[in-house]
Amino acid sequence: MGGKRKNSAGTTSGHSTQEGGQHVKKKEKIVETLLPSTIKNKEKRSAVHAKIKHQKGLEKRKRAKAREAAEQRALELGEEPPLKMIPRTIENTRELDETICKPDDEELFAGNDADEFSSILKQDCTPKILITTCRFNSTRGPAFISDLLTVIPNAHYFERGTYDLKKIVEYAKNKDFTSVIVVHTNRREPDALLIMALPDGPTAHFKLSKLLLRKDIKHHGNPTSHKPELVLNNFTTRLGHRIGRLIQSLFPQDPNFRGRRVVTCHNQRDFIFFRHHRYIFETKESKQAASSGKKIKDNKDEESSEQKVIARLQECGPRFTLKLISLQHGTFDSKGGEYEWVHKPEMDTSRRRFFM
Amino acid sequence: MPRTTTLENPGCPPLRALTFDVLGLIKVIEAKGEEKAAAKVVERWGEPDSTRAVVAASILDREIDPLLGVARKNGLVDVLNPVNGDIQVSIPNVSQTDVYPEADAIIGLHLFRKQRLESLSRSITFLTCTIKGRTSMKSIEIPQSCTDTISDAAQTTWNTCGSGDILFSKVDENECYALFGGKGVEVNVWDIHTSTKIWTAKSPVKNNLGIFTPTWFTSGSFLSKDHRKFVSGTNSHQVRLYDVSAQRRPIMSFDFGETAIKAVTGDLDGYTIYAGNGSGDLASVDIRTGKLLGCFLGKCSGSIRSIVRHPELPVIASCGLDSYLRIWDIKSRQLLSAVFLKQHLSDVVFDSYFRNEVGGSTDLPHQLQGLNDISEGTEDEGIVPDKRKKASKVHKGSKKLKLRNEGKNSDLPPQPQDLNKIPEMIRAKRKKASKVHKGSEKHKLRKNRQEQ
Repeated sequence: MGGKRKNSAGTTSGHSTQEGGQHVKKKEKIVETLLPSTIKNKEKRSAVHAKIKHQKGLEKRKRAKAREAAEQRALELGEEPPLKMIPRTIENTRELDETICKPDDEELFAGNDADEFSSILKQDCTPKILITTCRFNSTRGPAFISDLLTVIPNAHYFERGTYDLKKIVEYAKNKDFTSVIVVHTNRREPDALLIMALPDGPTAHFKLSKLLLRKDIKHHGNPTSHKPELVLNNFTTRLGHRIGRLIQSLFPQDPNFRGRRVVTCHNQRDFIFFRHHRYIFETKESKQAASSGKKIKDNKDEESSEQKVIARLQECGPRFTLKLISLQHGTFDSKGGEYEWVHKPEMDTSRRRFFM
Repeated sequence: MPRTTTLENPGCPPLRALTFDVLGLIKVIEAKGEEKAAAKVVERWGEPDSTRAVVAASILDREIDPLLGVARKNGLVDVLNPVNGDIQVSIPNVSQTDVYPEADAIIGLHLFRKQRLESLSRSITFLTCTIKGRTSMKSIEIPQSCTDTISDAAQTTWNTCGSGDILFSKVDENECYALFGGKGVEVNVWDIHTSTKIWTAKSPVKNNLGIFTPTWFTSGSFLSKDHRKFVSGTNSHQVRLYDVSAQRRPIMSFDFGETAIKAVTGDLDGYTIYAGNGSGDLASVDIRTGKLLGCFLGKCSGSIRSIVRHPELPVIASCGLDSYLRIWDIKSRQLLSAVFLKQHLSDVVFDSYFRNEVGGSTDLPHQLQGLNDISEGTEDEGIVPDKRKKASKVHKGSKKLKLRNEGKNSDLPPQPQDLNKIPEMIRAKRKKASKVHKGSEKHKLRKNRQEQ
């Protein structure tokens, strides 16, 4: 397409510029009345379309330039710069949801005190996790579990054998485990995660995708055995809150800040992104920054202040994405279980409706 | 693009419902019945306390002196006034002091309409049933104030099952028979007055593979006005119809959904039933044929714990673990209103004598007098029954009169509001249909012209 336009530009360069201008205007008129999709001839249609696209691009650039100029002028005159436009995203046009937790909700806090996780979150008992697999487990499954064992403190791997999950739950209850995690693999690839709070907590069933193990992450770090910090982002609704508390109850509530290890669960559009990092605070002097200017972008700011503390991250892995399929009341019971929340196809009537 | 078309909200008829949740709160939901107004929470009774979680509730739905019984997790039974939420009497579970109340929680409660004791004072008779099958019927005099001790508790207790867990108990319309069933307990019918078992079901035969499904009933309900017929739902997602007078095996059974049937209720007509299951599916079924009439669709995502049919209006209410109270129209199976109530709900009841207080406030004193007369006639001296404050403003003896009043005030034809709505809806649909039709006609005309 680009080549074509160049060609046409080359051939028409001999004509007077006025003619060319008229030509464009005519086209515009056509465009206003006629959509390219209504043209039947493909060559003509693509030509018209390319023209429109080009025009749109030009206009956009012009507008951006004008905006920039206005901003610059305002800066020079010392006025308030014009307000930045906020892009309309799916998140900020989210459908109104009455289940979003409000900070002044007395019933929410009473409910939190009464729920299944409160004994762990109040540090009355320490979390103890049992990790097991589905019946057939190979390659990436065990590798993922060995990664998980380094992420979650006080986690113990038990081979599944041929035991029923209900029997395992019973066993874990007797041994004072507080949670059970089951990693489900399909075609040697982990594809589902079952997190169960014990003794009578809810059971969450997640779809697991985009799994990247530690060894597959470039320049990954190796975590220490300190207790990690936990960051939970955007768990806003009652359901999200409950899932957040479920995840929170997997980790000890007294992190070793010396370990500088952080586990993040970031919720965005009902997908929970799991990341595991090490971080460090480094002080950079201005001299150093000036010498190695190309590495760090904000050395301009550092010229004003002599020393600046920056946080640097290193990913430790694993990295994966979870999506909630169902939340069951009570422990695992596929037949007689009651669901607190199940994803149903009839809920997917809007792209802007989220549940967490 | 955000949604540009708004969904047509059919609006909710005037009604009042009470819901009970796991924090022991009682919430009152009222719909004013105005055009396109959703139901709202108007009151909340009790303080959040998880040990006082409500496990069962029952309402004495009557004009004068209504009562609301609430069984709590810690074995307490509270009797309240459903109009203003005052606790009339609070009965501790006196029958078993040695057992943990949590281990043997109450699962069923029923307040009797009829007074068993011909005493002068106000008394209340109720039936409770625990998981272990301990069923007791008590008569208690309601003291004048909460501080008074409960004087007399006439009590009959019996055990409905030797082993297994009772999961539901229901009392029929005439309050003569009770229905029990549960995990490992076949449904059985008891005569309340003589406290004897009169009928037990037989489990269905093994299937063609010789596999026997263990007995596990999760819900049940008498069909309206007939103590011999009842439906029950099982854990293996089966709904069964039993007839005491016919046979001990189910007359009719069909599968519904893929999770346990957690709630079953019969309609007033005696053959339509509503069944809700553990994954939030709600459907109405004609039990005579076992045919599914239709599902109630409305993004219901959590297990349904309770379904209640309104005694007069054509609506049902459902609630459950998704902490929404949903009100449905039974004819169109459309969602009329959904109220988010923050906690897992355990039960819902309708207060059918609720009237909208918009109209008929002009001749208020006269009406009040009338009500006083009635109450004086029925009640003895000393005990002042709780009058319905809201009802008193507009109430004039019978319901029809009142509705007529309302109609006059709002310059509407003298018809009840709720009934008005359905034809309107139909009319709206018809209009739409006719529009489409016209459109197509025009299209045809245009085509004809082109051809010409």
